[in-house]
Amino acid sequence: MTPTQIETGELGRELAEARFSQLYRDQGRAILAYALRRVEDPEDAADVVAETFLVVWRRLGEVPIGSGARPWLYAVARGVIANLHRTERRKTRLGQRLAQSLRTELATHRAPSGETAEVLRAMSALNEDDRELLLLVSWEGLTPSEAARVIGSSSLATRSRLHRARRRLRALLEERQAASSQGGSNPEFDMEEAR
Amino acid sequence: MRTHELQPLLATADPVDWKRLRAVDLGATEADLLADLEGVPSGLREPAPRPWRSRPRRLTFALAVAALASAVVAFLFATGREGGHPSRAYGAELVRFAESTPLLLLDEPWRVQSVYEAGEGAYMPRSSRGEGSMEFVTGPAIPYESTTISADGTVRGMAPKAVRQRKVELRWHPGKLGFPGPIVHRPVEAPVLDATALVNTRAETAYIVTRTEKKRIESGGPGDRQMAAIWHEGGYTLELRAWVPNLAGFKERLDWLSRVDSETWLDAMPAKVVKSTEHDAAVREMLKGIPVPSGFRPSQIPDEGLTTNRYQVGASVAGIVSCLWFRQWGKARRAHDRAAEEEAERAMASSKRWPILHEMAKDGAYPETVWKLAAEMPSGYREYAGHRWRLLPQAEALGCARWGLPVLPRKQQLQRERRNQ
Repeated sequence: MTPTQIETGELGRELAEARFSQLYRDQGRAILAYALRRVEDPEDAADVVAETFLVVWRRLGEVPIGSGARPWLYAVARGVIANLHRTERRKTRLGQRLAQSLRTELATHRAPSGETAEVLRAMSALNEDDRELLLLVSWEGLTPSEAARVIGSSSLATRSRLHRARRRLRALLEERQAASSQGGSNPEFDMEEAR
Repeated sequence: MRTHELQPLLATADPVDWKRLRAVDLGATEADLLADLEGVPSGLREPAPRPWRSRPRRLTFALAVAALASAVVAFLFATGREGGHPSRAYGAELVRFAESTPLLLLDEPWRVQSVYEAGEGAYMPRSSRGEGSMEFVTGPAIPYESTTISADGTVRGMAPKAVRQRKVELRWHPGKLGFPGPIVHRPVEAPVLDATALVNTRAETAYIVTRTEKKRIESGGPGDRQMAAIWHEGGYTLELRAWVPNLAGFKERLDWLSRVDSETWLDAMPAKVVKSTEHDAAVREMLKGIPVPSGFRPSQIPDEGLTTNRYQVGASVAGIVSCLWFRQWGKARRAHDRAAEEEAERAMASSKRWPILHEMAKDGAYPETVWKLAAEMPSGYREYAGHRWRLLPQAEALGCARWGLPVLPRKQQLQRERRNQ
């Protein structure tokens, strides 16, 4: 079988669909979680997933094989979220179906309170890039080198940046703890503030 | 609060409820997704340019060879790397090599200066297998420190305070070794990663023990102490050792330590390595000026497939030639063959002029060991710490058995037996 047959024929489409479906099954939920953590409206998160996988389909040949696929997908999703409000929204079937499913299953985000609210508030005081890096490692479970690929940096630079971000967050939390022990705290927290 | 205590806090702040998210039936949406793509050409035909640049092939090759090595694996580099390499996927062998270490690094500004790991070679003492160490430095590379303690307790050869406080050494040993409680001075506990370490706050203290006295040697002072933390983690006994101004400075170094994945660990390796393909030419060049015993062949110098610098290749060259001379010397002494004995002594006496040993002396103590052993051949004994030791067993310290050239008859016999099994 020649590459031309694979690339252009029916078989080519089948192979592409098989690879694509596998990516969606393996990573779709993780990308959805990533989007839900970063956008206010679950319907927007559904659109992010749909748009991300449309990009995946168009650039299927570029998706690294194996463990490299995951950070590659996150990088695409990150770009999609950055452009969420700048581009005209496509009406995709996936977006609509997923949004409907999310409306049923995820009525709202958990309302943060107490220590969680303190952590989120401290995180909102970090600069955007540091916060993204911390979240990629802490919430998305990426390794520092995978996170480096998502943000387009070297793994060593990312690691030291991560170290500084953790230190900064730790200092912020300690400051807040000291302040609250002196004069009370504000338990309410706006999720949007953390995004 | 410790930096590593943040992770559980951050995890609890995750707004996504995974239990509910798992209830979303993604399988049902797959058909919609594929329907969305109807008429859209797939990008499977496109070439696959990586979003990150490739790491130099040379390092990858050299490291791959290192992973296969069964003896001693060491990276020793004259200079480290700045800025770091871009990431890329490493081969399985490399990943296995990285994963045979505890996968710990000190974050920037610290960088790896050298890595040493004892392999699983047949002649590696069982107790040393799998143990290793790494050196981290800030600023320029710090050359090997050859310190000597004279009988009056004077310490010479130490790097200046400002230099030695730029270095941190991390050692690991597979398994759980007991804490050296009785010899730990002013011990304190300190948090490190997910464990608590026992810190010897006066690790610079050493003793000289002779038949008549026990002398305490203090090479540090106020604002300049060597401290050593020992802890157990991930199936290893770990030790971090550094010269620091005070305990706070030491705790800060412990806090720089972070657990990384194998790829990040491999990315942190310094880039300056000797190409394995240059091994034979390097051996030929290093043999210049060295008298070799009859029957010696350059092919006896093994290309151990290590990521070596010249120091390591040099140790093989000078070590194997020295071992062969010591074997001849031992055999001649047992057979009372004075001519052969003197020939070996003359050859080893010339080691003071071997160019490769002079080059290596800047980076390590191997040449000094060769020279000391050579100087004591005429007497047949080595004297230190008030004792006289037979010289031949001392020569094993050159690593002769590791190269299959044990100098002791008993070891030779054992080696033959093992080969015949």
